[in-house]
Amino acid sequence: MYLKELSEIRGVSGNEVRVVTFLKEMIKELPVKPDSIKEDHLGNLMCLRKGKDSTKTAVLMAHTDEVGLMVTRIEEDGRLLARPLGGVDTRVMLGKRVLIGDDDIPAVISYKAIHNQKDPLKSPPRWSDIKIDTGLGDKKTVEKRIQIGDTISFDTRFEEYDNRYVGKAFDDRAGCSMLLRMMHEMEETPEHNIVFAFVVQEETGLRGSGMVLKHFHPDAVLVIEGTTAGDNPELKEARWSTHLDNGPAVNYLQGGYAIDRRLFEVVLQTARENKIPFQLKGRTVGSTDTSRTARSFYGAPGAVVNVPSRYIHSPVSVMSKTDFENTYKLARAVINNKNFVRVSYDPKTRGA
Amino acid sequence: MKELIKKLVEVSSPSGREDSIRETIINELEGYVDEYRVDAIGNLIVRKAGSAENPKKILLDGHADEIGVVITNIDKDGFLRIDPVGGVNPLMLLGAVMRFRSKSDGSVIRGIVSFESETARDLQNNYKNPSFDNLFLDIGATSKPDAQEKVSIGQFGTYDAGFIDQGKRLISKAMDDRIACAIIVQLFRIIENPVNDLYGVFSVQEEVGIVGASVAGYDIMPDMAIAIDVTGNSDTPKGFKRMDLQLGKGPAIKIKDRASISDRKVVDALMEAAEENNIPYQPEVLIFGGTNAHGYQLTRSGIPSGTLSIVSRYVHSPHEMVDYDDVINAVELLKRVVEKKS
Repeated sequence: MYLKELSEIRGVSGNEVRVVTFLKEMIKELPVKPDSIKEDHLGNLMCLRKGKDSTKTAVLMAHTDEVGLMVTRIEEDGRLLARPLGGVDTRVMLGKRVLIGDDDIPAVISYKAIHNQKDPLKSPPRWSDIKIDTGLGDKKTVEKRIQIGDTISFDTRFEEYDNRYVGKAFDDRAGCSMLLRMMHEMEETPEHNIVFAFVVQEETGLRGSGMVLKHFHPDAVLVIEGTTAGDNPELKEARWSTHLDNGPAVNYLQGGYAIDRRLFEVVLQTARENKIPFQLKGRTVGSTDTSRTARSFYGAPGAVVNVPSRYIHSPVSVMSKTDFENTYKLARAVINNKNFVRVSYDPKTRGA
Repeated sequence: MKELIKKLVEVSSPSGREDSIRETIINELEGYVDEYRVDAIGNLIVRKAGSAENPKKILLDGHADEIGVVITNIDKDGFLRIDPVGGVNPLMLLGAVMRFRSKSDGSVIRGIVSFESETARDLQNNYKNPSFDNLFLDIGATSKPDAQEKVSIGQFGTYDAGFIDQGKRLISKAMDDRIACAIIVQLFRIIENPVNDLYGVFSVQEEVGIVGASVAGYDIMPDMAIAIDVTGNSDTPKGFKRMDLQLGKGPAIKIKDRASISDRKVVDALMEAAEENNIPYQPEVLIFGGTNAHGYQLTRSGIPSGTLSIVSRYVHSPHEMVDYDDVINAVELLKRVVEKKS
């Protein structure tokens, strides 16, 4: 729901305000309003739907930010230098269209002409080699419209091809879209409390999500992410992260956190019971907000479901529509599953 | 105490899968603690009340998890691909036996690691630059379905390497950090009348990123936290020349590592207790690594934290070596610290 809008909105880490404003507008239109809406200083937006059993709380989480750049310097000739916010490789930047600052000033990323390079493809360009060209004129002219510290995002139209969604920022507007849809479709009182948490600054180091645990004391956290596919046919299948059309990808280990065993099992069992196809993510590098929520305040166990997405952290990503739909179904079934908020450590239970 | 150490190191419980070790420790502590509980993320917290009128809280931490591997793929012939759980050097896996628990009947499944290679040069290169991208695990499965009956993607495993008693020197997998778990269990067993409230935390997921400590620290809010962990050494042939850490010279009182600088008051308390009671110790500055002290120091309003280390050789290999006298002295030192009136 609103995937097109959410994908096209600009919201680089630390500057998620447009995304949050859009979400708040949409939340006003919901058929059943949340019981409470909380915003914190960081910019996290948390909506609580009280459940029949108010002693149990599940948090459903997606991050509002996307990777991008920030202006660090304006050259005398008017071109801009920038640094990445989040994991962006210089190689995906060359020649791309971007939008800068609050006024959405268009620009193109330039780079030394290929014929002037000794070994053009041997090593990735450095950020100091990447110049951003607005065509506005010299430094003085540019300074009237652009400031150091302005964020730069990819300028990508959302499109649909057959069974594919194509656009930017699916990491993690895909998750934001699903949270919004779930709030929309949740007409009846849920079994237990559900907090829909839209959190900031995931891409720059999981900085926003921990604060959600200042306000709520969840029994479990479920994060919805757009994640790497890396399923290029020239790679061995054993080295793929996820594969498009194979269903939602479930994490078991990631950077900084081994997914809670009990929740992992609840997710798989829920998928099987509801006959939702799923895959297990083949790579364990990279992280999600569950790495932060597990270690914040009193801690909360977490699990992750992902929509596989090709060419992530670049100007254009591609998702499968059926994966998207099945990820939504799985997340909805899990977050409403009584067992999800009833995991307890029975010391007598032997683990895997 | 060797029997206790053997029991704890031989349990297979990698990060995030600490169920078995938690159960083992609870059984070992039966009758020696006033209460125990398991928090939301799996930390086992035990407590013994102090006798002081307004007792302070002293927290001793040993992480329950150990490094390991996780299965990421099962190929058409039943070979497995794995990723590290915590800091596993792929070089250590060559020749090591790994263990998993069978999905169907709970029995132990063992596997060995080898490197891919289509040419002799490939093999040489892969030996020189070992990576999880070019190794595989062979559990002796004859086909994909055969492998799938025994293990599944997402399943965690550990080294399969038992306890070796060389008299003064002890060798096993998972000395990091079951040696600390054993020290804390032993302390709870022998301490009769602590002055201050004594908390033992057997924390989860240290090896993947110091997850458990900050949560336990936030929850307990101790006046002092001491992480107990293994550390490096400099006493092997051509060992580290910028450090001085030797097996058998006593437990090491950490001043600094890459993740934390110990609170000076904690360092002083440990050193004073050692000197007053003639317990050998060595001051430690580790030029790499980190412990749960990092987690305690950065939670709440900053818990005064430090680390008591057991000097170890071959850390994160299947065969980590410690000195038994260092272990005994660590128990004695901690006993003196928690019994001291402050």
